[in-house]
Amino acid sequence: MELTIGWLYPSLMSTYGDRGNVICLRQRAEWRGIQVNVLSLAQDTPPEEFHKVDVLVGGGAQDRQQEIVMRDLRGAKAEAIREKIEAGTPGVFTCGSPQLLGHYYEPALGQRIEGLGLLDMESKHPGPDARRCIGNVVFEVTATRLAQDLQKMLGAAPVIIGFENHGGRTYLGKVEPLGRVVSGYGNNGEDGTEGAFYRNAIATYSHGPLLPKNPFVADWLIQTALLEKYQTPVSLEPLDDTLATQAREAMFKKLTAIKK
Amino acid sequence: MRISFFDRFRLGVAVAVAKTVTALVRSLRLGAASVLPGEIARRLHPNLLQLLSRQVKHGVIFIAGTNGKTTTSLLLRTMLERQGWRIAHNAAGANLVNGLMTALLANTNLIGQLSADYAILEVDENILPKVLPSIQPKFILCLNLFRDQLDRYGEVDTISQRWKDAIAQLPKETVVILNGDDPTLSYLGQQLPQRVLSFGLSEPEAYLDEIPHAVDSIYCPRCGHSLDYQGVYLSHQGDFHCPSCGFEKSKLAIDSRKWPQILIGIYNKYNTLAAVLAAQEIGVDTDTLLDTIKNFHAAFGRSEELEVAGKKVRILLSKNPVALNETIRAVNQQRSNGGFSTTLMVLNDRTPDGTDVSWIWDVDTEKLVEKGGTVVVSGDRVYDMALRIRYSQAEGNVCKLIVKEDLQDAIATALEHTPTGETLHILPTYSAMLEVRGILTGRQIL
Repeated sequence: MELTIGWLYPSLMSTYGDRGNVICLRQRAEWRGIQVNVLSLAQDTPPEEFHKVDVLVGGGAQDRQQEIVMRDLRGAKAEAIREKIEAGTPGVFTCGSPQLLGHYYEPALGQRIEGLGLLDMESKHPGPDARRCIGNVVFEVTATRLAQDLQKMLGAAPVIIGFENHGGRTYLGKVEPLGRVVSGYGNNGEDGTEGAFYRNAIATYSHGPLLPKNPFVADWLIQTALLEKYQTPVSLEPLDDTLATQAREAMFKKLTAIKK
Repeated sequence: MRISFFDRFRLGVAVAVAKTVTALVRSLRLGAASVLPGEIARRLHPNLLQLLSRQVKHGVIFIAGTNGKTTTSLLLRTMLERQGWRIAHNAAGANLVNGLMTALLANTNLIGQLSADYAILEVDENILPKVLPSIQPKFILCLNLFRDQLDRYGEVDTISQRWKDAIAQLPKETVVILNGDDPTLSYLGQQLPQRVLSFGLSEPEAYLDEIPHAVDSIYCPRCGHSLDYQGVYLSHQGDFHCPSCGFEKSKLAIDSRKWPQILIGIYNKYNTLAAVLAAQEIGVDTDTLLDTIKNFHAAFGRSEELEVAGKKVRILLSKNPVALNETIRAVNQQRSNGGFSTTLMVLNDRTPDGTDVSWIWDVDTEKLVEKGGTVVVSGDRVYDMALRIRYSQAEGNVCKLIVKEDLQDAIATALEHTPTGETLHILPTYSAMLEVRGILTGRQIL
């Protein structure tokens, strides 16, 4: 078996260890004998390449870079991503890249940047003096189908642990939130929602190495990608995730200690 | 500068109080008193920074940049002292306003008279523009600009723009010494009305095989087009030009091949060149410079070498992606003739380290792991570091990973795994470096 990971704008959209998600997907697939091809989807990539991918990964960008990306991602490239996501290609979009999928992003300074309008949500920066939402974040996955799949894999309610650092605030329309915030800010620090889930696309503010610490999400992406590609369910060999479990437990312990 | 009687009186009071506090803090062993006296004095006299800095006989030298400030200022200080000058210096690395003030106060007597030929002040990149109006330095050294704790500082572009605006206001006589291999700084220098001297490398054999992942400015700072690199020495520093607007690297004022370097790592070559260029400008003779380089001892935790239980230990502060990538390169160069060596990585997430540890995924830890040997991990975020190393291990990789929550235990284990005659390399974040040193030397500093 073979998988192609499409990495959106690796040099422009890679602010906070976002490469961690690509490394995690590649390693977890390769450890199970699945051949992996990482395809960079950048400014000089022809739109046809965008059609080749089985799973999409997008990270965060600083405002200036975000603007370059959103301007480049128009026409045939935008259409390719739209088709892929609508057709069920799984993807993980962290930090700034969910803003690409929503209606628009209004940066702290400068003009509104139009997104693909694929997810019914909008993002705004409340201004250069507004506080950034920074810190460790914990949320329970509530998006129905994803939560069910993960519950089956884990035998427990799926809880994601990550780190958020964003100036922009996201407000959801008719798109399902990815989860409910247990600790941290989430989409906007107001309504308790975090991220969004649409078809098989996961959007979240939990940036960078989201997948290494939540390996069940990585496995769900690999499994879904293989199902979409080969049209037959594939069960993945379990891996030794002791270190990830320990990393999660250490963080839970730390956050509980802070609350007390 | 003329100081009025009233000012002189207030200055005296402020200095006396601050000095008393320093003595108290030290005698009660509450710390090194590198910040508090400055804070108190500043409240007692708002213009203190200006009044003190103007008394420095030949002028103030600012050292700014993301990485290398402490090492460069210590080297420059040593060069100037060997020439016979008396130097005020914030040697403990306290580089915010209070730290600068405290360093100046340490060289001031009870009636507010400062005696120093030069003041070498490391300045945090964010406060540089804020202190330039009060302390007008004679020299400014800009070492580099990397992404470091973006949550605190914002983007590299924003910082360099603020630097440029502030420096451009200074007198024409100010000398700006900057890293010409860094596109952002090179561009900054090209816009200034002052005299600008650039240092950099002219050694294509030291080019990296590829541009590392953790890189910020590969875009032209003038027009935004992608830069063409003939080669890269470190992160985004190298030989570049813009194919669109013609912007290119500034002409270098120093030939890097003519100078040996302090310590290990290409970053220390840059630190050496920066200090040499400044010292030459001040009038230190070549023999003294060469001799200082040859006999240089590292500042604490910066490539510092210790001997513990009969084994050699080298501590290499690694506080951001560029620093860690570079220390890995330096460590690999040291161990190229054997795969048994041991590395200890200590990752903390306290305020001085930055609370977000995601940046470790931007580092090419694969390059450390592929050489084999043993990697011991520890620190507050020991499991995050362990995961990063685990995901760096490729099929058939022989590198051994050992996880130790307790730092003391981690150090002991790493020492056990270090064969006699080899060096244990310790790669800690900032607060971890202080802890490691505390354990290894049996005394706490700062």
